[in-house]
Amino acid sequence: MITLTNLSKIFRTELIETHALRDINLQVNEGEFAALTGPSGSGKSTLLNILGTLENFDSGDYQLDGKSVKGLSDAAVSRLRNEKIGFIFQSFNLIKDFSIYDNIELPLRYRGLKASARKQRIEQALELVGLHARRDYLPGQLSGGQQQRVAIARAIAGEPRILLADEPTGNLDSLMARQVMELLEQINQRGCTILMVTHDPEQARRAGRHIQIIDGQLHDSTLYQPLATQIVRPQAVAQGA
Amino acid sequence: MDNLLHSFSLAVRNIKRTPLPYLLTILILSLGLGMFFSNATLYYWLNHDPLPHKSHSLFHPQINAVLQPCDSCTEPTRVLSYQDVKKLSSSGIPSAQAAMFQSAGYARLPGKTDQSPTPVSLRVTQRDFFTLFDVPFLHGQRWADNTARRELILSKASAERFFGRSNVVGETLQLGNELFTISGVLQNWDMLPRLYDVANGLSSAQSADIYLPWETAYDLGIKSNTTTMSRDSRDYSDNFAVNGREGDFYQAQFWVQLDSPKQVAAYQQFMQQLVQSEKEAGRHPRPEANRLTNILDITEHFNARNRQLDAFALVSLLFLLVCLFNASHLSLNRYLASQYEFGLRRALGCSRGQLQQLILADVAVSACLALALSLAVAAAAMTLIASLLPATRNLTSWNPVMVVTMAGTALVACYLVTLYPALRASFGGLNRQLK
Amino acid sequence: MSITLLLKSLLQRKVITALLLVQLTLTLALLSNSVLLSTQAYQLSNQPTGLQLDTTLAIELKPTDENLIVHPALGELIQRQLAALKQIAGVRYAAFSNQTPLIFGGMNGNVYIEGKEDTTNIDMVPYNFAEAELFDTLQMTLLHGRWLSAEDKNTDNVVITDKLAKQLFSDSHLALGQQTNGGTIVGVVADMMYQRFATDQYYGLFFNRDLNRADYGYRLLLQVEPQAVDAVRQQINSSLRQVEPEIDIQQVVSLRQLHRDYFEQERGLAILLSVLSGLMLVVAMISAYSHALFHGVQQQNEIGVKRALGASKQRILLEVFSESWLTTAIGAVLGLLASYLLQQQLATVISLPALPLWLPLSGALTLLLCVTIATWYPAAIATRVSPATATKAL
Repeated sequence: MITLTNLSKIFRTELIETHALRDINLQVNEGEFAALTGPSGSGKSTLLNILGTLENFDSGDYQLDGKSVKGLSDAAVSRLRNEKIGFIFQSFNLIKDFSIYDNIELPLRYRGLKASARKQRIEQALELVGLHARRDYLPGQLSGGQQQRVAIARAIAGEPRILLADEPTGNLDSLMARQVMELLEQINQRGCTILMVTHDPEQARRAGRHIQIIDGQLHDSTLYQPLATQIVRPQAVAQGA
Repeated sequence: MDNLLHSFSLAVRNIKRTPLPYLLTILILSLGLGMFFSNATLYYWLNHDPLPHKSHSLFHPQINAVLQPCDSCTEPTRVLSYQDVKKLSSSGIPSAQAAMFQSAGYARLPGKTDQSPTPVSLRVTQRDFFTLFDVPFLHGQRWADNTARRELILSKASAERFFGRSNVVGETLQLGNELFTISGVLQNWDMLPRLYDVANGLSSAQSADIYLPWETAYDLGIKSNTTTMSRDSRDYSDNFAVNGREGDFYQAQFWVQLDSPKQVAAYQQFMQQLVQSEKEAGRHPRPEANRLTNILDITEHFNARNRQLDAFALVSLLFLLVCLFNASHLSLNRYLASQYEFGLRRALGCSRGQLQQLILADVAVSACLALALSLAVAAAAMTLIASLLPATRNLTSWNPVMVVTMAGTALVACYLVTLYPALRASFGGLNRQLK
Repeated sequence: MSITLLLKSLLQRKVITALLLVQLTLTLALLSNSVLLSTQAYQLSNQPTGLQLDTTLAIELKPTDENLIVHPALGELIQRQLAALKQIAGVRYAAFSNQTPLIFGGMNGNVYIEGKEDTTNIDMVPYNFAEAELFDTLQMTLLHGRWLSAEDKNTDNVVITDKLAKQLFSDSHLALGQQTNGGTIVGVVADMMYQRFATDQYYGLFFNRDLNRADYGYRLLLQVEPQAVDAVRQQINSSLRQVEPEIDIQQVVSLRQLHRDYFEQERGLAILLSVLSGLMLVVAMISAYSHALFHGVQQQNEIGVKRALGASKQRILLEVFSESWLTTAIGAVLGLLASYLLQQQLATVISLPALPLWLPLSGALTLLLCVTIATWYPAAIATRVSPATATKAL
């Protein structure tokens, strides 16, 4: 699913070069739930950004689904991101002028889906996160946990192959955090690959795989067997149900 | 004091932080205010009351005394004949009254026939003209009575032009082929608008160089160089002393001063009686159409408003409105951008009052900049207007009261423009901005 | 982005949107009315004059010696002056008249068919002194009958313009031989633009008489070879002064200059309003520019999120533009209504033709173009927002 080969990222200012990531080699298989941990400034956000094609890298290679993302045009990368990757942010990043429904609809619009197809997917996503009744609310009218669940709905509505989560529970209290974690596990069980940055050792333990990053280098990458046999596409589930 | 200085330094720092948006806001505001000021200046001079203490008592009487019958002619002529003036002068009611018209001639010092004469503008009038319109004398005095006399009253500028000094009472000046004694010199005097001559569209023209007695002008055949009208077959280029006085030759404006409502009523009654007796004598065949128009209504009465300027005034007012909305939009953006900072200040214990003080300092600084810039814009706009509409050339000066008013307008405009944005920024929920 | 979403987001920012709309509305209203006035002024100044504007010169003068302003000294002076002017190389014809064409006011009288004053009276017709050579000097065209000759001197024979003849007799050839209060009509000439103050600016009546007194001065008219206009103008003063120094030459102008002054008010207002419209467009552009810029800066995070969700740069560009376009379009619709309202208001003050629909429509297009240009730079900046912005804490 994800293959990083000798990937490096350097931040340059006029005076100094900082190696944010140094010769990273990483293989994430389809259906994995991996936790990415590390101290502040270790490069985990940079890694997540590169994995999400939000940032470029300087050397090495990144293959997503067997295809290198290097040298793709902005339009191609945008489409890749839209179709294959879902994002969940620490501060939810919902667009505050849009209703819940409109927020979830946004990536589907970018994909150019028809209104009826969009509607079907949004309903499914809302069903999954349990916020169907609040579809016309504005983000400001929801609690933090609810907002994060909307963000998750937005991320999965496009049926991405990979879900990238940057401290998804960082702004939430423990009860809400647990709900969000359960939701993510549920999504993972449907076959979606999840890579999650976290500070919480408990969450890291709950993930199937724990990747540590210190000073731009990977350490102690514990491999678990991918749950290949359990891969079921969410859409298939919905259709089957 | 310390607080105030702090406020101002913050305001200046705020500008420095976002110079471009700030300057754009001020620029837009100044464009709107400048165009508005330029127009308001013209409008002020065209419409202000030149004699505020007595304008209520100055009236222009007209009667419909044209000798050709015409039942549908219900509006008196714009100019009066010698006979009209004579009749309207006979009441004894007004405390002052004078007939007048504008003319032009050529003047020179006597004996200097080798030099070509200087063209001069004349006002032919009667002695009360100077009382009616409060014309101040520098030397000498007005004519002793309204009989014909070879006496001239000069403007100060003309006295200086011909004699090189202002006290020239008793000197002799040649006007046309006639010699005149100078009986008075006026102080610098300009009545704007020149409401006594709006019938000829001369409300913003300059005052006359030389004043000439009414009867003398008829004796010498000096006629108006503005609107004249003859309604009979007399030859007015011949023997004007008789024809001009007896014939249907219309050229004069006539003004009376009626100090009290009682006098006004009495004069109106006099006009009615006059028309009645004229009708009986068969000299007023047209329908009665007496008019006694106050000096402040005279522009409207003669339909002499500058419509172009009216239209431009309307449009420039709209432009100001656009600029105000625009500037307020820009300043809303600017304030929203610093909403976080406002929130932070509030969180640090800054009261709303103190916040308002900050905003007022910002407004004051903006108003000063906007005033300076808008005056420049206004000056440029007035230069343009004066070159395109030359009739407005004498209407472009500013007096201190006007400048103060403009400063006040700029301040109010800046405050209005900043008010809503500032309120939005300072009264917004704290929690929303600080997280 | 869909229009419904855009509308929703506009509604969220009620005040800013309202401010923008008010400006756009007023701008369009002013823009279309200014153009309307300008076209009106342009049309007015492009009406046919029937005159050779560039090669006809008019000299306005008055004797300063009282003895010279009276007949017969006056008539003799005029003849000497004309003879002297014709000596100047390049002068083709020269004639005297009491007034020139293309002036605001002058000597006017009423005209009616003798015996039919009640039904045919026309209040204001320019009465022009005319000798034989005035015909060639003004390059007139004879339509019917004949022009005035020396034999007509001090008779009551008159020539009138075509439009006046049509007004009086419905067909201009019927005018010949008819009696009016002004005299017997012996000819009809093609229309010339004479006086704005007259009942109609193409009315004119010509008669050949001695001028008894020049209280208001008189005019000498010259028809000049096109290439000699400037040279002739320079010699006029000295030539006239040689004939008689006791004169005041008030001005020497071409009919072109008189024509310009004739429409000065309309032209002035049209230029002023055009300047104001230009300023309005600038203001609208500044507004669109700063709005898009501020908005872009404020929404960096939002744009980042959208980029992260898969919006390409073009998509973001389109979104920024479509917001500008949508507001402009709404403003244009309101502006269309406002244009008509303003036209009504202005028409109560000055004479103004009806507003054709294409005017506010093309005004709206201009506005749209200006807004697009002004939004370009801020929109380009917005597309440069890195999608990684989304992951940064607010």
